[in-house]
Amino acid sequence: MGEATSIWEKLGFRKASGVSEAGWGQTLFAGIISLIYFLPVLLIIITSFKLQTEALSIPPKFMPTNLFGLIPDAYVFSPTLENYTSVFSRAMTSGGAAENTGFDRYFFNSIMIASVSVLLALVIGTLAAFGFSRYPLKGNDTYLFVILTTRMLPAIVVIIPVILMFRVTGLSGSYLGIIMLYTAFNLPFTIWMMKSFFDELSLDVEDAARLDGSSGLKVFFKICLPQVLAGLAATFVFGLILTWNEFLFALLLTGIDTRTVPVAMSQAVAGGGIGVLWGLLAAIETLFLIPVFFVTFFLQDHLLRGVTFGTVKR
Amino acid sequence: MSTIELKQATKKYGDFVAARDVDLSVKKGEVVCLLGPSGCGKTTTLRMIAGLERITSGEVIVAGQRMNDLPPEKRDIAMVFQFYALYPALTVGENIAMPLHYEKISATEMKARVDKVAEILHLGAVLNRLPGQVSEGEKQRVAVARAIVRDPNCFLFDEPLSRLDVELRHSMRGQIKQVLANLSKATVIVTHDQLEALTMADRIAIMKDGIIEQVGTPHEVFAKPANVFVGSFIGTPQMNLVEAKLSKFEKGKASINFNGQDIEITTNELVGKLNSPKITIGIRPRAFTAEGNASTENIQAVAELIEPMGAETLVHARTKGGNDIRVVVPREKRVKVGEALHLRPDPAQTHVFGEDGKAVRL
Amino acid sequence: MTSTTAQTIPTTFTTVAPDNWKLAIVVGLVVSLLACLILPPNISFWIVGAMVAMVAMTFVVNAYHRHYYGGLLVSPAIAVLVVMNIFPLLWSLGLSFFAYQSNQQTIRFVGLANYVKILTDDLKAPENWANLTNTAMFVVLTVTAQMIVGFLLALMFAKQFPLRKYLLILVLTPMMLSVVAVGVFFSNYYDPTFGLLSYFIRLFTGEQFILMDNKAGAVAGIVFADAWMWSPFVMLLVLAGLVSVPKYLYEAAAIDRVSGWRRFWSITFPYIRGLLMLALLFRTIEAFKMADLVILLTKGGNGTMTISYHLIRIANEQNKTSEGAAISYVMLFIVIVLTNLYLYIANRRTEGA
Repeated sequence: MGEATSIWEKLGFRKASGVSEAGWGQTLFAGIISLIYFLPVLLIIITSFKLQTEALSIPPKFMPTNLFGLIPDAYVFSPTLENYTSVFSRAMTSGGAAENTGFDRYFFNSIMIASVSVLLALVIGTLAAFGFSRYPLKGNDTYLFVILTTRMLPAIVVIIPVILMFRVTGLSGSYLGIIMLYTAFNLPFTIWMMKSFFDELSLDVEDAARLDGSSGLKVFFKICLPQVLAGLAATFVFGLILTWNEFLFALLLTGIDTRTVPVAMSQAVAGGGIGVLWGLLAAIETLFLIPVFFVTFFLQDHLLRGVTFGTVKR
Repeated sequence: MSTIELKQATKKYGDFVAARDVDLSVKKGEVVCLLGPSGCGKTTTLRMIAGLERITSGEVIVAGQRMNDLPPEKRDIAMVFQFYALYPALTVGENIAMPLHYEKISATEMKARVDKVAEILHLGAVLNRLPGQVSEGEKQRVAVARAIVRDPNCFLFDEPLSRLDVELRHSMRGQIKQVLANLSKATVIVTHDQLEALTMADRIAIMKDGIIEQVGTPHEVFAKPANVFVGSFIGTPQMNLVEAKLSKFEKGKASINFNGQDIEITTNELVGKLNSPKITIGIRPRAFTAEGNASTENIQAVAELIEPMGAETLVHARTKGGNDIRVVVPREKRVKVGEALHLRPDPAQTHVFGEDGKAVRL
Repeated sequence: MTSTTAQTIPTTFTTVAPDNWKLAIVVGLVVSLLACLILPPNISFWIVGAMVAMVAMTFVVNAYHRHYYGGLLVSPAIAVLVVMNIFPLLWSLGLSFFAYQSNQQTIRFVGLANYVKILTDDLKAPENWANLTNTAMFVVLTVTAQMIVGFLLALMFAKQFPLRKYLLILVLTPMMLSVVAVGVFFSNYYDPTFGLLSYFIRLFTGEQFILMDNKAGAVAGIVFADAWMWSPFVMLLVLAGLVSVPKYLYEAAAIDRVSGWRRFWSITFPYIRGLLMLALLFRTIEAFKMADLVILLTKGGNGTMTISYHLIRIANEQNKTSEGAAISYVMLFIVIVLTNLYLYIANRRTEGA
């Protein structure tokens, strides 16, 4: 209908009409539940602004300000950005210039490795999914199940042969090695998701295009791909979230130059005998959360439409 | 008592008015068709009655009870949706039984009632199939069966036949009409197909841009269109509408000039009292008699295109002034392209519309 | 397509042609075997690789000649999976029949001895069995918790309401966190002295609360953290199913005066059944592999040792590579049986309906 979409409507403020819309009451209810659910994350974010001495204080100091005396001082901490600066550089205990912790490099590595491998898996996996969907091989289902099986074993089972293989081929510690490994790691999910999308598409348009003389390639790019954009977005987000935080492969197969944040984080916070560096860990995690948080947020609409078709079919 | 009444019912979406001041009343046993082009507000009106849209202002009264604020479940209304809205995971039989669960009747009685409507609508053979496994015509009948299996306040049909092919549509029209006649409930059918409306309805409400233009029996809306829109919308081939100037009115005869041609038409007194000489003349294609000679009472035109329609022939003719006129002549009368025609309009079927588009009628 | 590429020469098994994949496989296998037997591994590896590439090439040429697009499209994915996943998997399968420790140079073929050992040994079998039952317990508990919480969250977000988008992303955040951070911070929340949990309970009871000092508490702690982290995954899948239900079906249900309960089972549930199955499948597979949270929260103490953590210990810390491989293949067998069972049930339902 001729409704103009105002900024308010884009924000989700829509007049309740029809049967499937709830009002502000639902917002209040869902808001409370969501905040409770988010609380552990919020505590991590708050901790990232605390000094080590205040991080573990009991009663918990959760307010950065006393709100003009409304909050008892026992609950108030003095916010600091020190953790964030010390993510990237730390002062030498023996004095002298601050030392680079290498975290800028690790962040770059994480972003590079995760995005390249997820995109690569998306390209290869989508092609394969299209093949599985439109040109079924003999024993198609068996192939698909074997592909899924590769995700069923604990990483540790694959890791020893992979370590040996990487050592022999010199892939150990290289970007290529870990990217290839993550690509393979993401492929099963990508293929399964994308195949179910292609299965759902109506074949009429494709047949019409083929009759008009379009090649298989053209049909794929011009007709099928545009229809599964939501699925691509959803698959990308899922792959990214899983790859972004992968720990074991990264720990054993990345070198000092290719180390990713989860590995560096676990090493940085160990704190050399003085226990966990809570503020530092929280700051790293908060920074590390930001990219994937925003990617998810901006692809959120696709995420919901995207997985709709992703049902189990065998 | 099965009645439906709308009083000044209005539905707005922001600034857009989907239905404006709709007044409509449907008596027990009466079938009213809401007819109009797509986007005219007819489906909105139907959904206001059902409670699927909250009305912005006005009143909805069903079975004598004001129902403005009641949700659909509380209105006890049966409705057939345009795309049937069959529950895809339930069999045909379960679909038909769905409205009966509310009544808390025994399983045997439920089965008996489902079987009964299935028999009426010839669905006995497909009761155990899923909606995805039956034909389009059967889906449509399931949707109707699900509506008539209960005893509601009234029936609503949203474009019930729009997805069927011509032949099926024809036979379903008859079936639905018969079923409705036996039920004797207030019924509203939304359609954009005038043939459907003319054949099924006791009365027709013609809508345009959210406003009801005319309500009347099929005969009334055809024979006495209230305005230019109704005149042009009802009837095939479409009514000829010619813009003209009223030059003189004397003794029940109007002298009319259009595009350089003058004719005299016998018409009613009110035409003489019009403020503005700008009028529109509406003549149905079947209301012409072809005469031998030119006179002041017939229109001069030349046949340009001949379309045989079987029993009759549709002739597109062009007047001197350049107006296109559609004329239907009997099959026996052979008209050739280029032939001069002297067309005398039947005064009883010649409609005069004033400058505001409204029919000038006693 | 030009006609020149379309013509196929009828190839017999012995013809040396770029698309004779059968011959290529045989040659590849023979050469690889010889290379493995005669040459040192760092050279034979590349020879095996070259043979795989040769076979792959013949497949591609063959597929292209026959307009066999299925094979062409699938081959890059298969190639990556074979090299990075299936080859290492087969390698470790092979290792499970040898006596091999990664910190020693010797390797000896022992047949099924490793399997016999882990399944029947007086010391190892009960330990493995206990770890397996622990894992099963975690699978049941975490997956159940995730399904229930995820489902309820999805119901909460099923309707459109103001600010929904912003609240939804808050709920999705836990699964974006690094498991290291989640483990470390939850161990802090559970800490008897400094933890929030203990603090709040102390407000009521006045006593220090130690969650992790018994099996039930330790399991609850792990399950809670895991379910918190992964329920959003289930929620997302269920929510996608819920929003895919056409609105007109709910309208029809309103007209038909269908009760809420019946509406859910007859209309909504069929739309989410497939996605529920998918969520169940993926979460079960993941839950079987649970190790990191256990390591971070209890280090396997208080009866929370899982088979996956056990594997890491014996394969990585104790260097018993072959024994680990044997255990993981027993585990793989169980997971395959289970997933097939799921898929069987899921498909029987959809076909029967």
